[in-house]
Amino acid sequence: MSVPPESTASVLPQAAPPEAVAFPPKELKKECEDILSRYPTRMAACLPVLLLAQQHYGGWISPEVEAGVASYLEVSDSHIRGLLTFYAMYNTKPAGRHEVWVCRTLTCWLRGAEKLRQTALDTAGVATCGTESDDGKFLIKNMECLGLCEVAPAVFIDGQPHVNVTPEKLTELMEACD
Amino acid sequence: MSNGKITIDGQVLDIVPGKTVIQIANDAGIGVQHYCYHPGLSIAGNCRICQVEVEGWDRPQISCKLQPSDGMVVHTQSEFAKDAREGTMEMLLVNHPLDCPICDQAGECHLQDYSYEVGQGAASSPTAKTNLPKNVPFGSKIVYDAERCIKCTLCVRFCEEVTETNELAMAGRSDHEIVIMTSQGEFETPYSMNIIDLCPVGALTSRDFRFKSRLWFMDFAESVCTGCARGCNVMTGGRDGSFLRMEPRENQAVNKWWMCDAGRLGYKAANVASRLEAPLVRNADGALVQVNWERAISAAGAALKGAPGDVLIDGGATLEEMALANDLAAAMGGKAKYAAATGEGDDFLVVAEKGANAAGAELLGLPRAKKASAASVVIVERGQHITASMRDKSGAVVVFAMDGEHVPDSAQVVFPLPSSAERNGLLVNCDGIVQAISSNTAIGPNNLADPIELIEDILGELDDGYDWRGRDGVLASIRALPAFAKVDFPAGYEAAGVGAGS
Amino acid sequence: MAAKKSASKKSASKKSSPKRGDDGRYPETKILSALFDVKDGWKLAVAKKHGAYKNLEKALKSMSPAEVIDEVKTSRVRGRGGAGFPTGVKWSFVPTETDKPKYLVLNADESEPGTFKDRWLMELDPHLVLEGCLLCAYATGVSTIYIYVRGEYPLSQERLWGAIHEARKAGLLGDKIMGTDFSCEAYVHTGAGAYICGEETGMLESLEGKRGHPRIKPPFPAVEGAFGCPTVINNVETLAHVPSIIEHGGQWFADMGIAPDPDNPRALGSSGTKLMGLSGDIKTPGCWEFEFGITVRELIEQYGGGALEGRTIKAVIPGGLSMPVLTADELDVPMGFDALVKVGSGLGTGTAIVMDDACDMVEACENIAHFFADESCGQCTPCREGCHWMEKIFTRIKAGDGTPADLDLLERLFINIEGRTICALADAAVWPLRSILRKFRHEFLAKMPGHTDPHEKDPHAEDPKASSEPAAVGAN
Repeated sequence: MSVPPESTASVLPQAAPPEAVAFPPKELKKECEDILSRYPTRMAACLPVLLLAQQHYGGWISPEVEAGVASYLEVSDSHIRGLLTFYAMYNTKPAGRHEVWVCRTLTCWLRGAEKLRQTALDTAGVATCGTESDDGKFLIKNMECLGLCEVAPAVFIDGQPHVNVTPEKLTELMEACD
Repeated sequence: MSNGKITIDGQVLDIVPGKTVIQIANDAGIGVQHYCYHPGLSIAGNCRICQVEVEGWDRPQISCKLQPSDGMVVHTQSEFAKDAREGTMEMLLVNHPLDCPICDQAGECHLQDYSYEVGQGAASSPTAKTNLPKNVPFGSKIVYDAERCIKCTLCVRFCEEVTETNELAMAGRSDHEIVIMTSQGEFETPYSMNIIDLCPVGALTSRDFRFKSRLWFMDFAESVCTGCARGCNVMTGGRDGSFLRMEPRENQAVNKWWMCDAGRLGYKAANVASRLEAPLVRNADGALVQVNWERAISAAGAALKGAPGDVLIDGGATLEEMALANDLAAAMGGKAKYAAATGEGDDFLVVAEKGANAAGAELLGLPRAKKASAASVVIVERGQHITASMRDKSGAVVVFAMDGEHVPDSAQVVFPLPSSAERNGLLVNCDGIVQAISSNTAIGPNNLADPIELIEDILGELDDGYDWRGRDGVLASIRALPAFAKVDFPAGYEAAGVGAGS
Repeated sequence: MAAKKSASKKSASKKSSPKRGDDGRYPETKILSALFDVKDGWKLAVAKKHGAYKNLEKALKSMSPAEVIDEVKTSRVRGRGGAGFPTGVKWSFVPTETDKPKYLVLNADESEPGTFKDRWLMELDPHLVLEGCLLCAYATGVSTIYIYVRGEYPLSQERLWGAIHEARKAGLLGDKIMGTDFSCEAYVHTGAGAYICGEETGMLESLEGKRGHPRIKPPFPAVEGAFGCPTVINNVETLAHVPSIIEHGGQWFADMGIAPDPDNPRALGSSGTKLMGLSGDIKTPGCWEFEFGITVRELIEQYGGGALEGRTIKAVIPGGLSMPVLTADELDVPMGFDALVKVGSGLGTGTAIVMDDACDMVEACENIAHFFADESCGQCTPCREGCHWMEKIFTRIKAGDGTPADLDLLERLFINIEGRTICALADAAVWPLRSILRKFRHEFLAKMPGHTDPHEKDPHAEDPKASSEPAAVGAN
C-alpha cells in the first residue's frame, strides 16, 4: 500500500508528546513475553508485537500506543513510526470496525480488481482508500499482491481471505458485517 | 608489505586497508561527488551519485562502498561513469523543488553545485512533483523540508551512530519517504545541529541562521570554539560586523567533524548591543567617555602607576595575551592569574573545564583565581569566567572587556576587547593540543586594537625601557619557557619567531 | 507416496524430460506435492504415515553435515525464490568455525505478484517444509530457524505454528532431536506487508525489527546475516526439496529435468521438479509440479485450459511479475532457468501471469509500474524517484497526453534505473516494463493520435547490450 501524502501529516511532531499507554496490557503480557523470548534483541519483536497491539487496540496504532510499544521494546518512538509507515498492514489512523483489503496487482487487476475496489468504496461510502468511513464501519485498503492469484480476484475482510470475488459477492460480504 | 595498487583516472595509487575507492580517490585529490557518504558514518550507499566505472564490470559501482583490489582500474570521468551520475542527478532533481532562490543552502548546496557541473539541461518532462511536508520543526533549532530532502539518511545515521540518541528515523516508503523526529519534540542530544552541516541539501536548516544572509556575502575564517576547553575547530562566518554563524571544521585529533549546539550558538555574545567599540576613560564627572587610543593608553599607564597590583585574565584569552598579562603584572610588582568557569561535561566533546585556554594558563604558570580578589587590571571576554563578583571586588582600574556590561564601577580606563572570532593567537585545549584562533575581519566593530599591542603599549608607559616585541617576540619568549619545550605548535607557528599574527 | 516411488523408478532409466503421453500431454511429477491431495496432510500423524521426518532421521543418524551438503550440491538444486542460485554452494559459504550462533531464515515472504506456490506448500504440507529446514539447519550448524511468513498468509502461519508445536511434542524439534546431539528451535516470524522483505537482506532487516531496507553486500548473509551472525536464507520450495534429495540421493534429483549446458558455464541446468503456477487470463489457474522441461505453451494449454472463451493470449510473464514478458509467439520455450534467460526472460518464481487480447498493455504497464513504485523501499535514488516517474509517464500515455518522446524518455530511465541500486527491485521494475514497451510499442503509439513513430523501427530491438539479463541478479 502506498503512503498517501496526507498521511505524512500524522508523522509530524506534535505539540505535546503523547502519553504512552501502559504496554503491554495484561491480556497481551504473556504473548509479548513469548515473542520476546524468540529473538536475541528486543527490537526484533517490533513487527509481531505491533501486529498484536494493532489487533488489541481496535485496528490501529495511535501515538499513545506507539509510545507505549516503543518504551516496552526500548526503541525510539520515531523508529516505531518508521515501521508503521513502512509496512502496509499497520494503520496509524482509526481503521473502522472492519478492514477490507482489495488486491490491486496485475493478476487481480486482470480479473476485475478495479471494479471490486469501486464496489468496496461505494458500499463503505468513502471516496478513497485509506480513510475510515464516516460511520466508523469500514476502512478500505488498496493492497499490493495478496498471493491469492490462482483464485483472483481476492479480498481480505478482517484478516480473512475471500477468493474469486465478484462485486455482488463483495457487497454481500460487506453487508454481512455489523 | 604492499596491499596492491589501484588505478584511478590514470593515477596508480596504493590500496590502503579499510579504505574504499572514494577515500583513496579523495586522498589523491580526485574528487568524487557524494551525498550519502560521510567518513564518520556507516556507508549507506543509497544516493548513487558516487558511481564510477570499473574496467571489466558491467554495471557502474558506488565508489563509497567499492573495495579496491589489486589491479583494479577505475574511471571517474569516463562517459560511462558520467552518464551514470547524470542519470542519478536527473532522478534526484525530478521531485526536488526549484526553490534555490529562497533556499538557505544555496551557495553551499552539493546538489546545486553538482547540477551546475553536469549542466543538467531542460527538465525532461512536465511531470508533477511529489508534495511532501515542509517547514517541519525538528526540535527548536532545526527546520526540515521533506521536499528538498534527498533521503541520504546522514542525519538519521548521525543520531544513531554518533550520539546514539535515535531521535530521527525514516518514515513512509518509496517516494513518500521522509525523515521524522521523535514525538518528544526536542533532541535529547546537545549535538543536534551537526545534522544541518551533514545535510548535503537545504532540507535541514538552522532556525538561527535561516534567511539571515546569502553565503556569498559572508566572509569565513578558520578558528576554534572557545565555549569549553575542547576547542572544537570551527569556521566563523560573518558579514558587515555581525557574527552570523559558526560551524565545525574537521580535526580528527580534537572534534572529528562535530561540535556541540551550545558552542555553535555561543557566537551571539559577539553581537550584543552593549559591545564596546572604542576606548573609554572616566572623566571628572565620573562618567566613562570615549577617547582616542593614545589618550586611553597613557591614562591606563597613569592609573596603574597610581594603583599597581595583580592582573586577572579570562581563561579563554590566548597564550600571547596571558604571557603579556604576566609581564604587565610583573611590571607592577603583582601577579597574573586567570579565572575560568567549570560546568557540565559529557562523554563526547563537551568538557567540564570551560576556560578555552585554561591549560595554556597552567603551562604559563598562572594561578587560577578561585574567588574574588584585588586586581588592577581585568581582561574579560566571557562573564562566566570572570564573574560579576570577581570584577566588582577586584577594584580594577584598567579593564579590557568585550561587553560594556562586564565593566566594573572601579574602572578608570576601558579598552574594547575583540571577540575570539576577531583575534589571533593560540589556545591550549584540554588535551594539551595548541590551536590557533584567527580573526574574521567581517565580524565585530571596525578598527579595534589588538590587545597584544595595547598591553605592550601600557607596558611601555610603565617601563621607559620596555622593548616592544610584537606577537612574534612574545611567542618566542613563550617558546623559551621550559614548560613549552615539548609542546607542538600548529602550522604557521612551528618555527620560533614565526607567528601568523597580524 | 505413490508419486515418490514412481519418480524414483523413473530416475534410473532416463536423463531427459519425461516423455509426453500419446496425447502429447506433459505429465505431472508429484514429489513436493505428494501430500497436496491427501486429506489432513498437514497434520503430523498423516504426514508421518507418508514418510515425513524419516529423511531427517536418516540424515541425523547416518550422515554427517558435510555429507548432507554434498548430496544437495550433487542434486544441483537451484534456489526456487527467483534468483536460481545453487543451494548447496550457498550452504557451503556458511563458516563452520565460528563462535557466533548461526541462523536459518526461511524466506516465506512470497510477495512476488502472481506467486502462490509456497503458500500451497506451507498450507498443505508444513511438515515437509519444517523437515527441509531442519535438514538445512543440521547441514549448516544452525540452531535457530526463523520462518519469515508474509502477513498476508494467515493460514500458512497457523499451519506452520501447528507443525512446529506438533514436531516439538514429538521430539522432532527442540533439544536433542530424535535422541541425537542435534538441537534446533524454529519460530514463525510474521511480516507486515512489504514486497521488499522478500529480498533476502531486506528480510533480515525486517526480522531484526527494522524497516525492510536491503543491505549493501558484501558482507553476504552467510557470513554476516541476521543479528550480525552467519545466516542461511532459502526459499520454502527450495528446502522442501531437500528431504527427497536425502531420501533418493542428489544424483536422482540431478537426473531429472534439464541438464546444464557444458558449453555455457552460466547455464547451470534446471534439475529436479518445480512447482509451477498459472494465473490471470486463463480458464483454470492453479499450481502443479513438473519435472523441468514443460514449455510455457504446454503449461498454459494443457494445465491452464488455454485462453478464456473467445480470447487469445497476448503476453505471458513466466515467473512472477519481475521478468520480461513473452509474446504469444514465444511460448514454445521450456519453463527452465537457462532456457528462459536465453530468450530474454527468466524463470523467476516459476509462476506465470497470462494476459489476453483484452488487456491494454499501456494500462498493464501503469499497473506494474505502480506496484514497483509503491513497493520501492525508498532507499536508493534511482528506484525511489524512477519508479514513480515511470508510473507517471504511463499514466500520461494512458490519458492520451503522451508523445513518442515519452517512449525515448522511458528507455533512458530504464538505463538509469536498472543496475543502479542496492537490490534488484529496480531491475525487476525495468524488466517487464521495458519488454512490454518494446514488444507492444504499437499499443503505446496508438494512444498518441497525430504522432508518428520517429523511429522507423525500435532502435533497441537489435542492440544486444540493451537486452535484459535477469540471470545476473542471483549472484548479487
